[in-house]
Amino acid sequence: MLGLPLAFTIPLALAALAGLPVLYVLLRVTPPRPRRIPFPPLKLILDLKPKDETPANTPWWLLVLRLVIACAIILAMAGPIWNPLSVGGAGAGPLLLVMDDGWPAAPSWDRRVIAAAQRIEAARQNSQVVAVAAMSDAGKDVVPVDAPKALERLRALKPVPYTPDRLAELPAIERFVAAHPKTSTVWIADGLERGNARSFADGLSALPVDTTLVADGAPSVALTGPQNDSGALDVRVLRSANGGLGQGFVRALDLKGLTIGQAPFTFGTENETKARFDLPIELRNDIARLEIVGGHSAGTVSLLDARWKRRRVGIVSGETADTAQPLLAPNYYLVKALSPFADVHEAKPGAVDPIGALLDEHVSVLILADIGTISGAMRDRLSQFVDGGGMLVRFAGTRLSAAADDLVPVRLRRGGRVLGGSLSWETPKKLAAFEPPSPFVGLKVPNEVTISRQVLAEPDTGLPGKTWAQLSDGTPLVTADIRGKGRVVLFHVTADTTWSNLPISGLFVDMLRKIVAMSGDARTDITADAAPAPVASKVETVAPSRSLDGFGTLGPPPPTAKPVPTTFAGVSSIDHPSGFYGAAESLLAVNALAPNDRIPAATFAGLRFRTAPLQAAEPVDLRPWLIGTAFLLFVLDSLASLWLAGKLPRLPRRAVPAALALMLAGFALVPAPTPAHAASPATEISPRDMASALQTRLAYVVSGDARVDEISKQGLSTLSATLTNRTSLNAGEPVGIDPAKDDLAFYPLLYWPVVAGVPQPSPAATAKIAAFMRQGGTIVFDTRDALSTRSSGPPTAETAWLRQLLADVDVPELEPVPPSHVVTKTFYLLDAFVGRYASGQTWIEALPPAIGDTANRPARSGDGVSPIIVTGNDLASGWAGDEYGEALYPLVPGDPRQHEMALRGGVNLVMYTLTGNYKADQVHVRDLLERLAH
Amino acid sequence: MAVEARLLDAEERAVGGRQQEAALGLARRLPSLVVAAKEIASSAMHGVHGRKQAGTGENFWQFRPFVMGEAASRVDWRQSARDDRYYVREREWESAHTVWIWMDRSPSMAFASALALQPKLDRALVLGLAAADLLVRGGERVGLLGLTRPLAARSIIERFGEVLHAVDRQPGEPDDLPPAGALAPRTRVVLISDFLTPPAELAARIADLASRGARGHLVIIVDPVEETFPFSGHTEFLDVDSKAVMRIGQAERFRDDYIRRLAAHRDAVASAARAKGWSLAIHRTDRPASEALLALRMQLESSLDAFATGFA
Repeated sequence: MLGLPLAFTIPLALAALAGLPVLYVLLRVTPPRPRRIPFPPLKLILDLKPKDETPANTPWWLLVLRLVIACAIILAMAGPIWNPLSVGGAGAGPLLLVMDDGWPAAPSWDRRVIAAAQRIEAARQNSQVVAVAAMSDAGKDVVPVDAPKALERLRALKPVPYTPDRLAELPAIERFVAAHPKTSTVWIADGLERGNARSFADGLSALPVDTTLVADGAPSVALTGPQNDSGALDVRVLRSANGGLGQGFVRALDLKGLTIGQAPFTFGTENETKARFDLPIELRNDIARLEIVGGHSAGTVSLLDARWKRRRVGIVSGETADTAQPLLAPNYYLVKALSPFADVHEAKPGAVDPIGALLDEHVSVLILADIGTISGAMRDRLSQFVDGGGMLVRFAGTRLSAAADDLVPVRLRRGGRVLGGSLSWETPKKLAAFEPPSPFVGLKVPNEVTISRQVLAEPDTGLPGKTWAQLSDGTPLVTADIRGKGRVVLFHVTADTTWSNLPISGLFVDMLRKIVAMSGDARTDITADAAPAPVASKVETVAPSRSLDGFGTLGPPPPTAKPVPTTFAGVSSIDHPSGFYGAAESLLAVNALAPNDRIPAATFAGLRFRTAPLQAAEPVDLRPWLIGTAFLLFVLDSLASLWLAGKLPRLPRRAVPAALALMLAGFALVPAPTPAHAASPATEISPRDMASALQTRLAYVVSGDARVDEISKQGLSTLSATLTNRTSLNAGEPVGIDPAKDDLAFYPLLYWPVVAGVPQPSPAATAKIAAFMRQGGTIVFDTRDALSTRSSGPPTAETAWLRQLLADVDVPELEPVPPSHVVTKTFYLLDAFVGRYASGQTWIEALPPAIGDTANRPARSGDGVSPIIVTGNDLASGWAGDEYGEALYPLVPGDPRQHEMALRGGVNLVMYTLTGNYKADQVHVRDLLERLAH
Repeated sequence: MAVEARLLDAEERAVGGRQQEAALGLARRLPSLVVAAKEIASSAMHGVHGRKQAGTGENFWQFRPFVMGEAASRVDWRQSARDDRYYVREREWESAHTVWIWMDRSPSMAFASALALQPKLDRALVLGLAAADLLVRGGERVGLLGLTRPLAARSIIERFGEVLHAVDRQPGEPDDLPPAGALAPRTRVVLISDFLTPPAELAARIADLASRGARGHLVIIVDPVEETFPFSGHTEFLDVDSKAVMRIGQAERFRDDYIRRLAAHRDAVASAARAKGWSLAIHRTDRPASEALLALRMQLESSLDAFATGFA
């Protein structure tokens, strides 16, 4: 309609639009409710004749709003549909619908069916008969039927998980056209060249029919060529043309359908890109299926079987000093050969138990290069490993030929043989071609591989069945045997080049690849071995177990699916649809695309086809949207009516732009706060804490008694100055803190003068004090009661206060400072800690009992610094001094050196808290120096 | 332009403390109303005379010099005989003037628009009570026309408030014209109303009041909406003291007519006032009340002055 993809189901309803002008007039004369205003001077004009009784018009915007509502409702009633199904015309003869039903058609299958159904519908209206031909019919006769039946047939079609060959269908079409002249053909193509699209198109255009080509413009994507390399699993992502899906994800799933990982891919200008799964090897080995997320076709699914699994291979060599000459070491050749497709683990040089260490790493293949006899516990472990499904590969060598154990597939003769040596007439032997049941069948035997020395197997019965490779004279070169669920393989040559040049041939790599790939799937070969006839030249086949449908969903295999040979390496076909084949333990994956395939788009240039696009968009019923719009507008209209009648609270005129600006600003600011919040720190750090963190300084607890606090400040100031003068500590200005509010973490030493009268700190503050002590801080409690205390009397008020404070704190056992305590020796050698008084006792955390000879250990210390020191000597008063070095306060008993001794005690305390028990060790320095001198 | 306007409900119309307080505040802000121009004149003369004769005679202030044109019988000969001047025994201050105040409390006054600072009723009461307070402080006696006798109490506002409150509680709507009855000569009357009554009735009532020589002053309280008629659009106008309703399709078209009618009405009221020598002032409620009080005071002063002059 009007060039728009718009149609109406009930166009007659649109006639109601003609009523809009009437509505316009009606709405115009139905004004909003008048405002009622009391007006005292009304009498003055009550007699005036109204000049114009026509009431004020409905405001134009309200009129427009109401007309839009009416319009929306009328349009909704007419049932508008966006992108309606268009029905094309057709000719007189039968209609032949040719459907591409390979996997590339699967993503747009619904639209293809719709497009086809439209054609069939058109044919039904034209009373045409319809024939539906699918490419996967592969040349079956095409039969014209009436439209409903054709529709049924169409609905029965499903995309197939392979790409059918279109040329196979061409003869059937030719026959149909020959039988039914005036046929009009519609080919709904998938747009890929894959499956001979161009040749088919040429053939079709040669027919005397009117052909319409319906093609999907969107390019197809596909997935192929997964490669489980050493670092990651790579998979190729293809597309047929530029445009469409530019990027996406490839999802990796395990056999149970659980997602293992997801990897992005992006097409540049190329039509091929890679997705990379950087996963641990264990996870990568679990991947059974890769799919493009949202791909919906068999081509976007890549199934992985055991061939893509990377094995962990452990290598143990019998030689010890191999690393000096790598080219002579078997490990070198093995690592080189294995690392492209397996994770190689080598035993660490000098490991006590290399085999056990590798078994602990859960290797699936263990290679023993020239290890003679394994015995004891290690042999048991190895045989357990093999029985449990492990693959044990052994290489011969001088040690093995000297003494072999029973972990070999065949009995070996002692000594072995040397071919072509200086004492032999024989020339080095070449390899014979591989014969079943050898897994090496199919590998090309290079001519240049020669064997000059080998170990020989005893010619027991069953030796041919155990032989995987043999020399041209029939002597086994590689033998293998089943042990439990696992397998033991023996190379009768060394892994280095001393016995043969096999390790430097490409065959060596291929043989190892086969062996590594076989690890873990012993069972198939059990059946193979069970097959009595070794002459079975035809390859073992496996039946399909689960198949992909065209949409890339795993399901039961179709009845047409046939078993595939185990060596099958092709792409899926009608007989072998994509999917897993074989038993669950050894699945064989068949995919729609070969690893190196590309999916070029088909070109139909130069052909006389009419073209039509595939229906691009789904039809959209616009009715709900229109009705919703009408409803919203109606709400708006109601609000506007209320507003006009003055029922809404009137916004101040200035408030409206302000509110709008606020809303805009709000929208603009919504994302902004995040960085703003991030920028502001969670908690402010006070400048004082910052200063304390930057410079060590002493701190005292503000007691609340101004005089005591003054003394504390003076005492600590003098002590700080003394420390700066005499020691290497440059203490900052002392600071008074409140344990309830301030952070204690910055202060190594806290001087706490106990004042009896003040209230106890809160429990939270007590908890902070306890935490401070636990984290290594030291608090000096000074009860300042040395004069009043009596050893036998009741505790003084200060002591009682302190006891109450410490009741909730984890206080260690205390003792009077013993003469040997390290705190008496940290800077000065002291006997006691005097302050204003000299008679008080100083208590400190009790030391552990002295060990051994105390005479030689003049200083003792605990593990850390005592968290608590209790004294009664009023240290701060003793420390406090003026600038001339005289005590500020009268001291008791008043010894002339008492102020100096008090300061020395303070210095010792500070040094003790800062250096810990270092001085306790320092007393040994003479012995240490003596010892160093020797 | 949409203007909100409303009528006050009964609660709001009641005379309450709010008008009294506002009136008190208003009155306190103004200096005392000087009662009689004569007194002013005489005190001024006293001052001049006193300077000449400073310190003599303690009763001297009780007399004022005889003014030419005064009745000769008023000369206090005993006093006048002491020198060659004539003195008159001053009596005026003892017999203060009486001022009657009438405040319209009819339904049409109970109206306020969004543009107004106060309802008309409130403004009228505030103005009336404040004037009463001013006059009492100036020594006048003030009465509510038809409600009280002239009073000179200091708490005149409270007294008036009580009376008005009592009247409010009586049933029936207050009349929109001052009560009839001739006032005594030399009394003055202040009528505060919107004067939306028919001018003829008003003129008759003014003539009635002034029939014995009382003089008066009319204060027309008007809401700004009533002057500017800022309505537009479909509007339904309701009368306040009748059921009359007027629905106008486009109110803005009536503005000119209305303003013309209003001007005519004002002219009629003014001429009715002027016919008896009464003065008239218009006060809009979007102006501060003090402005109106100031104007009223000037008017009263001049009219008292003129009266006093006439009296003498």
